[in-house]
Amino acid sequence: MDSLTSVILTPVFTAVLLLLIPGNFRVVLRLAAILGSACTAWTAVSFFSRFHAGQEGLQFESLIPWVTVGPLNLAYHVGADGLNIGLILVTGLVGFAAVLVSWNIERHVKLFYVLLMSMIAGAMGAFASLDLFFFYFFNELALVPTFIMIGVWGRGEDRNWAAFKITLYLTLGALTALVGLIAFYVAAGANSLDVIVLKAHLAAHPLSVSAQTWIFPLVVFGFATLVGLFPFHSWAPIGYAAAPTATAMMHAGILKKAGLYAILRMAVPLMPDGAHRWLPVVAVLAVGNLLHCAWVALRQKDMNLLIGNSSLAHMGFAFLGIASLTVIGITGTVLVMVAHALLAGLSFALSGYLETQTGTVDMTRMGGLLRKMPFYGSALVMGFMASCGLPGFANFAGEATVLFGSWKSLPWLVIIAAWSGLIIGAVAMLRALRAVLQGPEKPEFSRVADLGYWRRLPFVMLLSAMVLFGVAPGILTSRIEPAAKAVLSAHLTPSQAHQAPAVPAAPAASASGHSGH
Amino acid sequence: MEHAAVAQHAVESGTKIQDLAWAILILPLVMAFGTAVLTPKNRTISAAFNISGVVVAFLLSFTLFCVYGGQSVDATPFHWLPVAGLDAEMGLHLDALSTLMLMVVTGVGSLVMIYSIGYMHEDRSYTRFFSTLSLFVFSMLGIVLANNLLMLFVFWELVGVSSYLLIGFWYEKPSAGDASKKAFLTNRIGDFGFMLGILAIWSLAGTLDIADLKAKFVANPALLGPWAGLAGLLIFMGAMGKSAQFPLHVWLPDAMEGPTPVSALIHAATMVAAGVYMLCRVFFLYTATPGWPAALGFLDGISAASIISCIGGFTALFAAVIAVQQDDIKRILAYSTLSQLGLMVMAVGLGAKTGDASASMYHLVTHAGFKAMLFLGAGSVIHACHHEQDIWKMGGLRSKMPKTFWTFALGTAALAGLPPFSGFYSKDEILAVALEANPIFFGVGVLVTVLTTFYMSRLVLVAFFGKPRGEGADHAHESPSSMTLPLLVLAVPSAFIAWLPLGEFLSGHFKPGHATHGGDILFGPFNHNPIAAVFGLGAVLFGFSLAYSLYGKAPAQDPLSAKLGLLSQAMRNRFYIDEIYDGIVVPLHNLLSQIADAIDRWLIAGIAVRGLSGVVEIAGRALRLVQTGSIQTYAFLFTAGVLLIVLLALK
Repeated sequence: MDSLTSVILTPVFTAVLLLLIPGNFRVVLRLAAILGSACTAWTAVSFFSRFHAGQEGLQFESLIPWVTVGPLNLAYHVGADGLNIGLILVTGLVGFAAVLVSWNIERHVKLFYVLLMSMIAGAMGAFASLDLFFFYFFNELALVPTFIMIGVWGRGEDRNWAAFKITLYLTLGALTALVGLIAFYVAAGANSLDVIVLKAHLAAHPLSVSAQTWIFPLVVFGFATLVGLFPFHSWAPIGYAAAPTATAMMHAGILKKAGLYAILRMAVPLMPDGAHRWLPVVAVLAVGNLLHCAWVALRQKDMNLLIGNSSLAHMGFAFLGIASLTVIGITGTVLVMVAHALLAGLSFALSGYLETQTGTVDMTRMGGLLRKMPFYGSALVMGFMASCGLPGFANFAGEATVLFGSWKSLPWLVIIAAWSGLIIGAVAMLRALRAVLQGPEKPEFSRVADLGYWRRLPFVMLLSAMVLFGVAPGILTSRIEPAAKAVLSAHLTPSQAHQAPAVPAAPAASASGHSGH
Repeated sequence: MEHAAVAQHAVESGTKIQDLAWAILILPLVMAFGTAVLTPKNRTISAAFNISGVVVAFLLSFTLFCVYGGQSVDATPFHWLPVAGLDAEMGLHLDALSTLMLMVVTGVGSLVMIYSIGYMHEDRSYTRFFSTLSLFVFSMLGIVLANNLLMLFVFWELVGVSSYLLIGFWYEKPSAGDASKKAFLTNRIGDFGFMLGILAIWSLAGTLDIADLKAKFVANPALLGPWAGLAGLLIFMGAMGKSAQFPLHVWLPDAMEGPTPVSALIHAATMVAAGVYMLCRVFFLYTATPGWPAALGFLDGISAASIISCIGGFTALFAAVIAVQQDDIKRILAYSTLSQLGLMVMAVGLGAKTGDASASMYHLVTHAGFKAMLFLGAGSVIHACHHEQDIWKMGGLRSKMPKTFWTFALGTAALAGLPPFSGFYSKDEILAVALEANPIFFGVGVLVTVLTTFYMSRLVLVAFFGKPRGEGADHAHESPSSMTLPLLVLAVPSAFIAWLPLGEFLSGHFKPGHATHGGDILFGPFNHNPIAAVFGLGAVLFGFSLAYSLYGKAPAQDPLSAKLGLLSQAMRNRFYIDEIYDGIVVPLHNLLSQIADAIDRWLIAGIAVRGLSGVVEIAGRALRLVQTGSIQTYAFLFTAGVLLIVLLALK
C-alpha cells in the first residue's frame, strides 16, 4: 500500500524512539533525530518523485473511517495532489535541515528533538490530511511546540513577550478559523469534514450566498493570521527573532504555509461566492504585506527581524496569487509557498549560524566577514539574492508567475508587488550584505570560522532545491496546475464566469489609493 | 520570409547545427561552476578552464556565424515554466544581430580574460575572479540568444548580479561595496519598468516570443492600441538601467571601482550595450503605430521612439560635458561610454522613422572593440603606475610603454571618429540618420563628437606626453605580454573593421532585401552623405585643435578649470545628480520605512496587542501558562473546541 501515512508516521516513530532513549545520551539522541528526519525527508522526496505530474485527482490516498457519532463522520483521509505534494517535499527537506543545524542545543536535548519531530509530524499530517478535523489537529500538533520552544530555548530578552504575543495571535487566529469551520460544517450539512465529500455535496447543494459571505471571512482571516496577513502580522518577526533557529526555520518555512494551504484547500474551492466577496479585501490587505512589511524590513538592524519582515512581504505575493482567482495566479502561489519554505528555512539557518560565530545578530556591528567565511558568505549572497527575486532560484519563478496571473485582474497590485519585490526587497537585502560581508575586516571578529564540511549539508541541500526549482520550475508547475484548476472549478461555472473579472477590478481601484500610505 | 523558409527547412531536414548555440551558452556556466567548486585553490587550472570555455564559445560562435550568416534560425527550445496561458520557454534565436553579438561577447570576453592573467596575478581571489567573469559571459550570452521576453528578463537579472559581484570584487574596500550596491539597485529601477512592460505586452499580444510578436506587429501595427507608447517606454526603462541612460546613469561611473578588466568587458563593451541590443531586438515596438491611454492624452503625436531619442541625445551630451573635467583615467572613459551609449540610444529612436536601427548596432559593435581596448590600455597604465588613476600624476608614458601608447592612441582615434578607423564609419551612420530625421539631433551628434575628441585628446596629451608628474609614472614600464597581446589583437578590428560591409549586413537584418549604398566602403561616407561625413571629420579636427592648444605644452594643472570656474565645479561634481538622489530619493524611502516601523512598533504591537490583552485578560492569563511549557491549558482548549463540534453535530 502506497499511502502518505508513512511520511507522517516516520517522524512520529522517531519521536517515540527518542522518548525511549535516556536523556543524557546526547549524541545518540542527536544521531537518532538526524536519522529519523533523514528518513522522513527521503520518504517525502520519494513521494514527490513518484507523483504523476499532470494528473488530476488524488494520489497515494488512504481512507480510514474513524468516528461516527450520530451524523458526525470523522475519517482519517490522506492523499496528495498538486497543492500539497510540493509542501510535503519541503517539509521533509526543511525538517531535516532544522534537525541538522540543532547540533548545538545543549539543554533538554531530548525534549527539544521530540518537540521538533512533532512539529515535522504535525506539518506533514496537516498537509496530507483531507479531513478538516485532522488538518486542524495536526496543525495544532505542530504549533504548540513552537510556543514551548520559544519559552525554553528562546533567544534574547524579549522572548517571554514574544512567546506571549505569538501564542495570543496564533491561538486567536486558530480559534477564529475553528469557529468558521464549525459554522461551515453546520451550514454545509454534509455530516462530514472531508473536503472531498464536502466538494461533491456542495456541487449538488451549494451553500447560500449569505452563509458564504459570513463564514468565508472567519475561516480566511483566521487562517491568514497564521500566515501573517497585514495587519495580523506583528507576531511573526519578534516571534522568529526569539525562537531557536530550528523553530524559526520550521515555523517561518513550513507552518506558516498551513494557513495558505487551508485557504486553497477548503475556503476558495468550497465557498466561491464568499471568495468573490472577500478576496478583494484580502488583496488590499496584501498591499500591507508588500509595502508596509517591506519598508519595516528596510529599517531592521537585527538580521532575524530583517528576515522575518521580508518573509512577511513575500507572503503578500502568495495572497495576491490567491486573490487573482486565476489558474496561473494560484499555481504561482503554490510555487511561492514551496520556494519560500526553502528560502525561510535557509535564511534562519544562516542567521543562526552567524549568531553562533559572532555572538550577535546586530548587522551594523559586523563587516568584512566574507574573507573569513567564503562558503558562508556565498550561501548568504545566494539566499538574499533569491529573496530579492533573482532568476535561477525558485522564488523568482513563483513570484513572476503570480505577477503574470494577477496582471489582468489586479494590475495596480501587480505594480506594487513588483516594486516591493524588485526594489524595496533588494534595498533591504543588499544593505544587509553590505553590512555583513563587505567592508574591511573587524578585529573583534577575527575568530569567526566558516562552516565545516558536514555542516554545509543543510545549506547545500536547501540551496540546491531552490536552484533546481528555479531552473526547472516545470517540475513543480506540471504537478500544481491540475490542482490549481480544481481549486477554481466551482468558480468557472457559467453563472459566475461573467462576474469574475468585474469583481476583482474593485480592489485594483481602491489599492491605488491605498498605496500611498 | 525566405529566412523563415530556410529555418523551416533546417528543422525539417533534422539539421541541428543551431543547437550548438546551447553549447555556447552553457559552456561558460559549466566552467564557472566547476572551477568555483572543484579548483578554488588552483589558480592556473581555474584560469585555464575559464579562458578555454570562453575561447571555445568564441570558436563555436564563429562557426555558427559562418554557417548561418544573417539567417534566422531557432535552436530547440525547452519548456521552462509551462502553465496554461503562460507557456514560458527557454529558446535560443540566431539571426544577424545575435550571431554578431555572440562573437563580440565571446571575442572581447576571451581577450579580457587572457589579459586578466597578467592584470590579476597578484590577487588572492584569482579563481573567484575568473569564475565570476565566466558567469557574466553566460548571463550575457543568454541575453543575446533569448528568443522571448521573459527569458531576456531572466538573463537580464543574471547580468545584473554578475556585475554586482564583479564591481564588489574587492569587497573590503567600502567604496567598492557601495558601488556594487548602487549599480544593482539602480538597475533594478529599470528592471521594474521592464517587467511591467513585459506584462503589458504579454496581456495585450498574448505571447512572449519575440518572433511571434514581430509577426503580429507586422500583421497589425496597432496591436497594442493606446498602450503602444507606454509599453514601449516601460521596456525602454530596462535599457535605461543597463545602458545607463539619464537619469539612471549614476551607477556606471561608480562601477569603475571594479577591477579594470571588468570595466572593459562589462562596463564598456557588453553589459552596458545590452540595453541597446535589446532595443534593437524589440525594435518593432517602436516602429508600431504610436498610441497613448486617455490619461496621457497630452503625449498624442509624440512617439515612444522620439522620447527615446531625446533621452539618448541628452545623455550623450551631458556625459560628454562631464567627461571634459574628470581627472581619473577610468572615469573619463566611463563618461565617454555613457556618452557613446547615449548616441546609440538616440540612433535607435531616430531609426524608428525609417525602420532601420542598423546605425546603432553598428556603433555598438565598433564601440565594443575600441572601448574595450581603451579600458585595457588604461588598465595597463594603472598597472604600470602602481595603481595611480589620476592623469595629472602621469605623463611621459609614451616612450615607457610604446605598445600601450600606440594601441591607446589608435583607440582614441577610433572613438573620436577619425577615418579610416572604425568609429568614424559607425558614427557617420548615426550622424547621417540624425541629419535625415532632425537637424537638432545632428547638431547634438556633431557637438558630442567635438567634446569626445577634446576629452580623449586631453587624456592622451596629459597622460602620455610631457614629463612624469608623479612617482608612479616615473617608474612605469611596459606591461607583460599577456596584457599587451590582447591590446594588439583588439587593435585589428578598430583599424580594419571599416573594410568589412558590416553596416550593410546589419541593415539587411532590419530591411531584408533593401539595397543599400554599396560600392567603396572606405570612402563611402563621403559619397552617399557628404554633409554628415564632412561635419563628422570637421568636428574631430576642431576638438583636437582645441585640446592641443590647451594641453599641447604639457601643463602641470588643468588650465580649463580656472577658465570655466563654477561650471568646472559643477562638471567635476557630475552636476550634483548623485547628491540630489542621496538628498531626496534615499531619505524618502527611509522616511517611509521609519513610518512603517513606527506603526508596527507602536500602533499594531502597542495599542492593538496590549489593548487586546487587556480586554481578554482572562484568556491572556490562561495562555500565558503555555509559555512556561504547560501544555495542558492548550490541550484543554483544543478538547473544548472538539467537544463543541460534537455537541453542535449532535444537536
